[in-house]
Amino acid sequence: MLHIEKLSVSYGAVQALKDVSLDVPHGSVTAVIGANGAGKSTLMRTLAGLEKPQSGQVTFNGEVISGRKPEDIVRMGIALVPEGRSTIPELTVEDNLKLGGMWRSHAQRNASLTRVYTLFPVLSERRSMRADTLSGGERQQLAIGRALMTGPQVLLLDEPSLGLAPLIVTQILELVARMAWDSGLAVLLVEQNATVALRIARSGLVLNLGEVVKSGPAAEIASDEELRHAYLGY
Amino acid sequence: MTNFIDFLLGGFSNGAVIALMALALVMVWRSTRMVNFAQVGQAMFTTYIALTVQQSTGNWLLALAVAMGAGLVLGTIVYFLVIRPVKNSDTTGAIIATFGVLIALQAGAGMIWGGDPEGFVPPVSNAGLEFAGRIWPISLYDILVLAVTAALVIGLTLLFTKTSLGLSMRASAFNPEVARLSGVRVNRMLITGWALAGATGAVGGVLIAPVSTISPNSFDILLVFAFTAAVIGGLDSLIGAVTFGIGTGLVISLVTGYTDASNAPVVALVLLALNLLLKPDGVFSHHGSRSV
Repeated sequence: MLHIEKLSVSYGAVQALKDVSLDVPHGSVTAVIGANGAGKSTLMRTLAGLEKPQSGQVTFNGEVISGRKPEDIVRMGIALVPEGRSTIPELTVEDNLKLGGMWRSHAQRNASLTRVYTLFPVLSERRSMRADTLSGGERQQLAIGRALMTGPQVLLLDEPSLGLAPLIVTQILELVARMAWDSGLAVLLVEQNATVALRIARSGLVLNLGEVVKSGPAAEIASDEELRHAYLGY
Repeated sequence: MTNFIDFLLGGFSNGAVIALMALALVMVWRSTRMVNFAQVGQAMFTTYIALTVQQSTGNWLLALAVAMGAGLVLGTIVYFLVIRPVKNSDTTGAIIATFGVLIALQAGAGMIWGGDPEGFVPPVSNAGLEFAGRIWPISLYDILVLAVTAALVIGLTLLFTKTSLGLSMRASAFNPEVARLSGVRVNRMLITGWALAGATGAVGGVLIAPVSTISPNSFDILLVFAFTAAVIGGLDSLIGAVTFGIGTGLVISLVTGYTDASNAPVVALVLLALNLLLKPDGVFSHHGSRSV
């Protein structure tokens, strides 16, 4: 399990995260919600090793991972799908997928590839096409597929809904929730679209200006009208 | 017309060497988004090493292999000299540092091997082949140069397109962050790019040495031609580097044949300027990839 304790991150004088603590359990989705600039992406990027924490620590299955390099963290089983459909447009769909988890054995990678193609049949159909020929929703599927290719125990999803049609968002998020449930994956989901995120999540965390405003069961957060008005804007 | 065909044929092997040097520049560009002006200096240095090997063993293949190995090592060393110290600042510093490395290599070669031009004995005849009643401007050695170049280009293409290492290198070039998040050790891929560029340049140096001479500055002009070819090809395109490398060789041969060899660099620079005015992204560039 991923355990975040009193994590603080700053960019120069700007404090992006302050004393954030959170547990991300296996087998369910944990939603991180909050307005723009709340520190959601910073949290995800720090967990993946792209930003260095100022203080606090992150442990995974008892091992400290904060401060390690991204390529080491992903090898330990924590995969980030960064904001904005992080695929490589110049490569084919299959090469984008094969890029994930190159250190794993041939058999493991083949099994993951089959699984990704089963989950996202459209990627299988387009496997030899360049990634920049895909639609937005397909590219998001490809980005998630690449992360799954690394054989993760923890999947960090940073705003998968950005710029996608609501129907596609629901499809992708429901698939993610099912994946968490079926394979014991721990999913940390960052979303601006709080309604959808809290519907599929078991627990949630509300961030505002880098600080935790509330954490608890998703249903509780969703029904807290005051919280909604103050921080989530609906 | 006979002249034209002769000039054209005479340009191919020269063009192949320019293509190899351009390929080396492109591989460095793809890994660290900068031009390594020390590339020809590295090739000069490894060619001297090859010359020493050939003079003591008489074995050309061994000399070529040693030069390639030395090219891998030297490429790695230059990466650590140039990129590591200035990594967190902008690349301008690193580019200027490559000029420093070039000068240091030339001075070092002068101290070790002396400044006088030396000859490099070709492994096969360098005389024009006689065929159909006349002597053609292509020698057995030119054919060897083209064959070695073709083998190397095919090898590199297979490496880049068919292997996991190649995929990791391409991904590291296109998007280092996504590559790292996928588990690729991007720094190692960048070093590999510099090392492979060093080996490719080394082959170019060994191939050109018998048809010119070798001295600490003898490859400087090659930099002008290779840089022109690489830029016109788009700087990040391997196909572009090869195509325009050979193209540049043909143009030089025509210019030299019809006018004078001293005009060739000027023509190359004019082509470079025209390219930058008309199609600054290069002919084979992946669109927009230069904005990185």
